[in-house]
Amino acid sequence: MSARAVALVGGVTTPFGVRPTTWAEMAQEIGAALFRAVPALRTEDVDSLFVGAAEPERFAFQSHVAPLVAEQMGLRPRRILQRTELACASGQSAIRSAYAAIAAGLSDVAVAVGIEKMNLPSMAEANTSMVCVMDRPWDGPGGATAPPFFAMVAQRHMREYGTTEEQLAAVSEKNHRFANANPHAQFHAKSFPRAKLRGLPLVAPPLRLGDCSSMTDGAAAVVLVADDRARIYTDRPAWIRGTGQYSDFHNLAHAGELSRWPGLTAAAGEAFRSAGVGPEQIDFAELHDCFSISEIVEYEALGFCAPGEGGRFVEDGRSDLGGDVVVNPRGGLLGCGHPLGATGIAQAVEVHDQFARRVPPARQVPDPEWALVHNLSGSANVHSVMIYQAGGAA
Amino acid sequence: MSASEKAHRASGTGTEAPDTGGEPAAKPTGERPPEKRPFLLDFFPLQGEEATRLARFYERLREGRLSTTRCRVDGDLHWPPRVACPRCHGEDLEWLDLPESGRIYAFSAVLGAAPLGMESDVPYAVGLIDLDGAPLRLFGRIEGRPWSALAIGDRVAVEPYEVGDGRVFYRFRALDA
Repeated sequence: MSARAVALVGGVTTPFGVRPTTWAEMAQEIGAALFRAVPALRTEDVDSLFVGAAEPERFAFQSHVAPLVAEQMGLRPRRILQRTELACASGQSAIRSAYAAIAAGLSDVAVAVGIEKMNLPSMAEANTSMVCVMDRPWDGPGGATAPPFFAMVAQRHMREYGTTEEQLAAVSEKNHRFANANPHAQFHAKSFPRAKLRGLPLVAPPLRLGDCSSMTDGAAAVVLVADDRARIYTDRPAWIRGTGQYSDFHNLAHAGELSRWPGLTAAAGEAFRSAGVGPEQIDFAELHDCFSISEIVEYEALGFCAPGEGGRFVEDGRSDLGGDVVVNPRGGLLGCGHPLGATGIAQAVEVHDQFARRVPPARQVPDPEWALVHNLSGSANVHSVMIYQAGGAA
Repeated sequence: MSASEKAHRASGTGTEAPDTGGEPAAKPTGERPPEKRPFLLDFFPLQGEEATRLARFYERLREGRLSTTRCRVDGDLHWPPRVACPRCHGEDLEWLDLPESGRIYAFSAVLGAAPLGMESDVPYAVGLIDLDGAPLRLFGRIEGRPWSALAIGDRVAVEPYEVGDGRVFYRFRALDA
């Protein structure tokens, strides 16, 4: 589909959580970690840098972050340096931009990095920043934040398909269990059985605390290279085989019926077509579970199950290890936390680490060949999908 | 003052004395012009003709009328109101009053984690409202009944209200069945 195949040859994340460190310090931290994780990578190899950052202006009072991050990471990009802002999907936007640049021959070795620092002394200020993701002058005065929007998605899905709170808890329980096997996850050390999840306080009914991803500090980075460079850095490349993106609304008035996300079906259709595979070939998927209900709607939109069957799909273990497709073995946004710009990059790091058999056995997918990553933004306004294939030649 | 208190103050309305790092603040000279009200961190838009080409929307709202724009060329009904039609990209638009009532399509409530300025509103209900007789589904606050007593399909009235500083906005009020 492209002039040159593109490989993801390595990646790393910082610990995710409430971090006693600044936005810029995390840029240094992820740079140091990246060069340790990809030993063959030299500073001068990196010709381009793409920085996924959702709201540094609001969370860190800092704009013009691309050159700042280059300096903090010790990089001197000589071809393309840019920030990609797409709210919660800023991370995959950075990867897709790097992919496009390499496929077009404008870059040979690119780093895509995502950074977000969301925990502020005043969390009301952080919540205010989250409203800015919405159509602020129109939906903002009503107090629109993500939880009530996704709560309405859950309400309509329950009404139309009989989805239950127990099924929402099944998503959260699974992803938190995987996060227990991910030392960098925000909730690595916390156990969330379904009974406990069902007893947590309501945040935006019907969603409870355990149905919502958290405000998280963290960074993640990956290295993407042209086909002929891949073997320099790894013998376990993850090849980008397809990608798609779709956006059909921003203002909440245009959110449609809520319980189905045709924009995701459109993005996935393009990704499947370009990769030449279908949902039945996918061994594991990193899906954007910003809320438990999101993952259920996504199973359906991606074709892992029929519309309306997402709740049953997770309840029957079909998205767990041993099921049809392992969903969110990293721990998801629910278990790992959701540092906006870093999330989409961290999802891709998991693809590389799964293919390289580098994750703890409790979350290792057996013999994975095909992986799908979905990163959405805002109130499910933009859906981005990428499909990776393990190993082999370009 | 702790670091977090300082940061919290810094995030406020800007009316406090500037933080001078522990040194006594400079005495006011009385010669500085009055500071303009900070616009950022305020969800309510500036509504006058000097600030927006949609000032008419707020004028009509002040008269109790929720309205929007419609394209005179292709009849496209917009929400929110616009200055250019997204379908034909023409700028020949007309104002149209919207229905004053509707029904709840979906709703939830914010029970915590409110933005600045809305902390004391918690808990507050929000919803998507299908306007009676218009192909529009509008988001907004739902007043008049606790969220736990609302149901999909409940009738609501459009309610323009004053923000308190001369500006206006709209919300919905639950009606008795």
